[in-house]
Amino acid sequence: MFRNYFITAWRNLRKNKTFSILNILGLAIGLSCFLLIVLYVVDELSFDRFHEKADRIYRVHTDVRFGGSDLRLTVASDPMGATLKNDYPQVEAYTRIYNSNGPKLIKKGDQYITEEDVTHADSTFFDVFTFPAIAGNTKTALNEPNTVVITESAAQKYFGTTNALGKVIEAEHVPYKVTAVIKDMPHNSHFRFDFLFSMDNVEYQWGNFLSNNFQTYIVLKKGTDYKAFEKNFKQVIQKYLIPQAKQFMEINSMEEFEKAGNKLHYSLMPLTRIHLYSDRFPEFRPNGNIQYVYIFSAVALFVLMVACINFMNLSTARSANRAKEVGIRKVLGTERKALITQFLVESTVMVLIAMLIALVIAVLVLPFFNDVAAKDLSIRDLLNAPALSMLIPLPFVVGILAGMYPALFLSRFKPIVVLKGNSNSHFKKSSLRSALVVFQFVTSIVLVIGTIVVYSQLHYIQTKNLGFDKDQVLIIDGANALQQNVQAFKNEVLNLKGVSSGTYSAFLPVSSARNDVSIFKTPVIDVKSGLDMQRWTVDYDYIKTLGMQIVRGRNFSREFGSDSLSTIINETTAQLFGYDDPIGKKLYGFDDLNKPVAYEIIGVVKNFHFESLRQNIGPMCMMLGNSDYTASFKVHSGDIQKLVGSVEQIWRKMAPGMPFNYRFMDDAFDELYRSEQRVGKVAISFAILTIVIACLGLFGLVTYAAEQRVKEIGIRKVLGATIANIVNLLSRDLLKLVLIALVIASPVAWWAMHKWLEDFAYRIDINWWVFIAAGGTAILIALATVSVQAIKAARTNPVQNLRSE
Amino acid sequence: MIELQHIFKWYPAGGSRVYVLQDINLNIEAGAFVSIMGPSGSGKSTLLNIIGMLDLPSEGSYRFLEQSVYDMKEKHRVELYKKHIGFVFQSYHLIDELTVYENIETPLLYQNVKSAERKAMVSDMLDRFNIVGKKDLFPAQLSGGQQQLVGIIRALIARPKLILADEPTGNLNSAQGEEIMNLFQKLNEEDKVTIVQVTHSEKNAAYGSRIVNLLDGRIQHIPQTVHS
Repeated sequence: MFRNYFITAWRNLRKNKTFSILNILGLAIGLSCFLLIVLYVVDELSFDRFHEKADRIYRVHTDVRFGGSDLRLTVASDPMGATLKNDYPQVEAYTRIYNSNGPKLIKKGDQYITEEDVTHADSTFFDVFTFPAIAGNTKTALNEPNTVVITESAAQKYFGTTNALGKVIEAEHVPYKVTAVIKDMPHNSHFRFDFLFSMDNVEYQWGNFLSNNFQTYIVLKKGTDYKAFEKNFKQVIQKYLIPQAKQFMEINSMEEFEKAGNKLHYSLMPLTRIHLYSDRFPEFRPNGNIQYVYIFSAVALFVLMVACINFMNLSTARSANRAKEVGIRKVLGTERKALITQFLVESTVMVLIAMLIALVIAVLVLPFFNDVAAKDLSIRDLLNAPALSMLIPLPFVVGILAGMYPALFLSRFKPIVVLKGNSNSHFKKSSLRSALVVFQFVTSIVLVIGTIVVYSQLHYIQTKNLGFDKDQVLIIDGANALQQNVQAFKNEVLNLKGVSSGTYSAFLPVSSARNDVSIFKTPVIDVKSGLDMQRWTVDYDYIKTLGMQIVRGRNFSREFGSDSLSTIINETTAQLFGYDDPIGKKLYGFDDLNKPVAYEIIGVVKNFHFESLRQNIGPMCMMLGNSDYTASFKVHSGDIQKLVGSVEQIWRKMAPGMPFNYRFMDDAFDELYRSEQRVGKVAISFAILTIVIACLGLFGLVTYAAEQRVKEIGIRKVLGATIANIVNLLSRDLLKLVLIALVIASPVAWWAMHKWLEDFAYRIDINWWVFIAAGGTAILIALATVSVQAIKAARTNPVQNLRSE
Repeated sequence: MIELQHIFKWYPAGGSRVYVLQDINLNIEAGAFVSIMGPSGSGKSTLLNIIGMLDLPSEGSYRFLEQSVYDMKEKHRVELYKKHIGFVFQSYHLIDELTVYENIETPLLYQNVKSAERKAMVSDMLDRFNIVGKKDLFPAQLSGGQQQLVGIIRALIARPKLILADEPTGNLNSAQGEEIMNLFQKLNEEDKVTIVQVTHSEKNAAYGSRIVNLLDGRIQHIPQTVHS
């Protein structure tokens, strides 16, 4: 029986080649999208689950608001971990990661290499996290100072072998002994380090509860409710923080602190949620976003549904051709149930073929997709039990889903009616089919609108006046390696043709160092007059090099000897402190050695975006000083690469053996919006795909419509209709559907994109033309698709079609 | 009005040709009522389609109203038949989705007749043939005879000089058939419309002023011939 079904299915596929190709192609595209997104989602959801204690590990988060701006941190103070472990028996273990020192220069032969994936970690790191060792004992590896645990790849890179135990690594001129080699950290970990240095080598003012610099992870005992545990933080604040704060600030209780509009709050975040839910700062790597997981999943389902709908539409549309077969089978005594089974087998066979093609497409597209999604996915990731348990039934589910309606539809035919050959009028118009086409185009149009909005926002970001000039700024990181040659280097570079000015400052309005400090309006340090803000150390040429604007007062100047105690604030700071004319006013804070200092405001810089455009511009101030980690040069050269080459030559001469790391500020700026660009690319890909699938469907439908109305077309031509008349006749109904889709899609898309834009403090308005453009695109593409078939139908000689009576 | 000379129509079949029409020479004057007869497959319908400019011969020349049909551009040809020729089919070929009124109106739409004028013309016809009451019905709601009547009205609406009818009574019972034939006769006599019909029935052929017999694509015998 089933063999018979397969044979008929196969022959039918081969007989109607165009139809089969359209159908299978549509399904294959839909399924390959689905596969890719499943890969992506499975990967996103798998983050940090590989640790044995994954479900019991939590990171301590700190929320601070001190005078205005909220700080939402992933870090806690250094004594926090130990305090929790000592005071609360529910805490089984803790470990801290200290990453504030940034990249390290590591010596290889006589060269130095900048290593980004380095950190200092507590010796308890491996009590909390699970990273299998290849050599050495990770339990004790970081117990001593000057010890380091490295990964396989790091061992290979520096020693050419994984057998690196006992070897010495020189980092920032300090020797460390390799005490363990671990396997590379999996890519689905929210941190990936190649070097874990001993915490004992960190120079730090230990014991300070008020300074938050450590990612702190705790393991709670089995059965502990972490939400309930969070309540203990109040006690910790009362017992440890308030007494410390009293030493340099007038504060009596938490209530008073909060009454002044301030906040200090600790919370725990489960390890497995960090990747998708943490929107805090700082993170080791760019996080995922649960929103995007939802969006992608929804898109996957929609694309798959659009493909299924295609299948339904094309199958029912071609029903006239199958009607006779159904009639004969029924006359021969086939039951309806058997017919339904037959059609379902047929659709499943099609889906299976489509699935195979989809797998091939997915494999081919994967590198592309990885690039767009910034992932390192492999099709092998699907070869695990949970993924397979979903994928193996998929063709059958889709086959039945897509085949059910056509099966019911086709098996319903009455043999007498269809065998008379007069069946055309029976399935001319179907409101369900129309609804399905509308659905397809709603999906397409929403995606097109989404794409337009994302790209408009990106364009807005690119072209917005940022308050500084990001173009043609060459940034050299790690310039402190020049040591005594710092000034000489700058002077020589400035002598090059095409370099107009240069500055040293680690603080840049793109990704760079940040320095949160509390600044007070009055010399009396109390909770009411303080403001948390950025304090950036810059030099005389900073504002000039970055093209910032002084709106009041003056820039730092070498002609004023006293400028070391001067400050320039931004407009937000002036506003938050309530100064109409801040020039000459004083600001109070602490210097690097925690000594109180007063600064005189000499200028106000026009607000510039130093964070991404997602955020409002916060308060900041600039001080003169030495911050030579990063050098920036304003260049205006036709041949940038040649210029960079000249700069590198100077570097090689003045910092022999040191790595020359350069980037351009506009690239660094674009980095801030990687995830948006990614969303844009994904949106545009899926928009194109859904439109392609929807058009395959339209193409099929208009072919069908032309076939159905072949007699009518003939009559009309005999009565004098032109080709244009006929094309119009065939296209009008389908275009009407696209218009309806536009009407439905517009508010949906508006709402969704409005939500997305809300993430940006600075954003575009969604213009009406977006909807017109999206609708116009959809209509044009639909029209083009439809016309091909319609013109073909209109051009046939009517005599052929009217003869067969 | 119609001058066909040396009309051949063939289809390639393997290496040879299958002739549907062979060396047809036929003149029809304005005002004639010609019946084309012949067994199935003798080429009657093909000849009618060639006269109606719906089909092209493989060879030969055709002058319609003193104009050489095959020397003009297709656009002109379409204009010519739109204006002067009306078609009536055996199976009526009404458009199922349109009402009687709309079916009759359709040819006018394609001749860019203004809306008000269309209305007047259609109403005129509905009046003349006494079917005003049926104007909002769909074809499926009419009897065969009524459908064919609508078909004829539709053919007449643009006031053609020539009506081509392909077995107009083939699907009708004898009473209905008679009515239709009477109508044709009346149109021919009173309105001076030239009529060419294809028919199987001797009886229907007798309504005409002239009979053309076709067998295997050739004209067999032409009574009252004008041309040798």
